[in-house]
Amino acid sequence: MTKNITNIYRATVVNLENVALDTFKLTLHEPTLSTQAKPGHFVNIKIPDCDGILWRRPFSIHNTEKQQGHFDILFKIVGKGTNNLIGRTAGEKLDIIGPLGNSFTLDENTSEAIIVAGGLGIAPFPLFLKHFERHDIKITIFYGVKTKENICCIKDMAEHVATIFYTTEDGSEGDKGYVTDLMHNYLDRIDLTGRQLFVCGPTPMLKTVRALTISYGIRAQVSVENLMACGFGACMGCAVRLARSAEGEPEYRLACKDGPVFNMDEILFND
Amino acid sequence: MINPIMVASGTFGYAEEFESFVNLNKIGGIITKTVTLESRPGNPPPRIAETSSGMLNSIGLPNVGVEGFIRLKMPFLKKLKTHVFVNVAGKTTEQFSQVVERLDQLETVSGYELNFSCPNVKEGGLSFSSDPNTAERATQLVRKVTQKPIIAKLTPNVTSIGQIGKAVENGGADAVSAVNTFVGLAIDTQTFRPKLATITGGLSGPAIKPIALAKVYELVKSISIPVIGIGGIFSFNDALEYLIVGATAFQIGTANFVNPRVTEQILNDMLLYCENHNINHIEEVIGSIKI
Ligand SMILES: Cc1cc2nc3c(=O)[nH]c(=O)nc-3n(C[C@H](O)[C@H](O)[C@H](O)COP(=O)(O)OP(=O)(O)OC[C@H]3O[C@@H](n4cnc5c(N)ncnc54)[C@H](O)[C@@H]3O)c2cc1C
Ligand SMILES: Cc1cc2nc3c(=O)[nH]c(=O)nc-3n(C[C@H](O)[C@H](O)[C@H](O)COP(=O)(O)O)c2cc1C
Ligand code: FES
Repeated sequence: MTKNITNIYRATVVNLENVALDTFKLTLHEPTLSTQAKPGHFVNIKIPDCDGILWRRPFSIHNTEKQQGHFDILFKIVGKGTNNLIGRTAGEKLDIIGPLGNSFTLDENTSEAIIVAGGLGIAPFPLFLKHFERHDIKITIFYGVKTKENICCIKDMAEHVATIFYTTEDGSEGDKGYVTDLMHNYLDRIDLTGRQLFVCGPTPMLKTVRALTISYGIRAQVSVENLMACGFGACMGCAVRLARSAEGEPEYRLACKDGPVFNMDEILFND
Repeated sequence: MINPIMVASGTFGYAEEFESFVNLNKIGGIITKTVTLESRPGNPPPRIAETSSGMLNSIGLPNVGVEGFIRLKMPFLKKLKTHVFVNVAGKTTEQFSQVVERLDQLETVSGYELNFSCPNVKEGGLSFSSDPNTAERATQLVRKVTQKPIIAKLTPNVTSIGQIGKAVENGGADAVSAVNTFVGLAIDTQTFRPKLATITGGLSGPAIKPIALAKVYELVKSISIPVIGIGGIFSFNDALEYLIVGATAFQIGTANFVNPRVTEQILNDMLLYCENHNINHIEEVIGSIKI
């Protein structure tokens, strides 16, 4: 893996767009970050003028427009920091560290990339599609949300993708239920050789997908979202436990530096 | 040291993590993450929680052990032109001196900081910090195996930090650093569970600065060896408060996570301050508190 040229940048806000319920796409201008970004990388943003907030806030790089030197993050309002971000206006500067972490890798012999995303877990995948778009690989997406107001990025992604299956928990659009059920059915129907899974989403979903991929023996990479105090390997706060140490003395890796992308069978998820 | 700016153990990794952000040689002294005799995996996650103007941590001193440190971390540290102090902890008084003895031949190591204070380690840790006799004995044992400077790092989680300060002074410490984190607790009110797997952890950041400053002031009045101030330093102005109460140097901790270039900024602001106030050397402000 090549080392990131991680640094602190001052990125300019270009645009903020409300793309789904409480969900926003923030477009930033910073040419170096835009050209360096690989799918799975994240940035750590200093929230400006926000009383009491200490840490930066990490977000996956959602997409890039290299020619213009732009990149996007996709975020949902969940607390103080994300609430502050929706008040940012074009022309403002944000203090950003990036690119951070490792990235998704497509195996040589992969003929179909199967993406499984829950909620905001869709964030890293538009860049993934752009990066890995090749005519010899098929891309299938399983995307689950709570209700139809949460669905986003479908149009952008449809250009690059063979098939998108999506589910809402309330059945307001797409299939009703969990995306993992749909994915389970799919895996039952297809020949698994040459298939590789790429996963991001809430922990309960990750646990289900992990169990399935292990029982099917299918290769899967997951991007994890542990709490992070620094994002660049200094605090050791973002520990992920290795599966091989499930019994006995634990062994940990750092989500921010060794990850956020891990082989799914190699790590354990917290309760 | 070229300046009184140091970075606090556990907040600066092994310096390598900050190479792309700052000129490491401009930092007066770098203190490594704690090194122990044997390697340690650290505590189970979640290990960190954000609190009002601060954070709780319960990292649990994960490290590769002294041999691993020499093999994996020293090659990078060797390249630095500044002072490197290795922070050392042990489960027993003997282990402190064993680690120091192993490191003492290495030229790169300028000195040691003895971690008598980590609140996150079940064994030992806290007893060194809260029992003056044990702290004194551990310092004595280390003094026997090294001529290099020994800094004893103290916990604020005691009734009298001055008393512990006196004990390590008697034990032969060249300086004390204070403080390590304050024991703290945070609860997730949705789940009713503690935010850290170990239930309690150590509080750091701006939230602790006034209480840390009071501890440093108490130490300055109680002992005659230099005191290095630590706790919630995010700007030169914060650092200046420590110098004014009598700290001869200071360490920057949590601020490194938020602004990995903070040391450089504090240095620049310090130089500017001296210029604007006709101060030849920052030492002039040390202990200049007016009461
Ligand atoms: C590598 C990485 C990539 C991420 N990518 C994205 C992304 O692309 N889009 C996006 O919307 N979010 C992403 N996140 C999560 C995002 O960082 C948090 O939503 C954000 O920090 C919340 O900040 P806040 O101040 O608004 O909320 P806070 O006030 O800090 O928290 C509000 C609530 O959210 C919970 N929370 C906060 N951070 C996390 C987290 N990391 N995991 C689980 N729960 C959390 C808190 O416990 C709390 O209950 C990512 C996190 C990581 C580590
Ligand atoms: C994540 C984290 C890890 C730490 N690890 C260590 C450690 O390994 N050894 C040590 O002596 N102190 C450790 N500390 C304590 C700091 O060195 C410092 O004493 C404390 O954080 C107070 O300073 P601050 O408010 O500037 O952070 C750690 C602190 C934090 C936040
Ligand atoms: S977030 Fe600090 S080490 Fe990963």
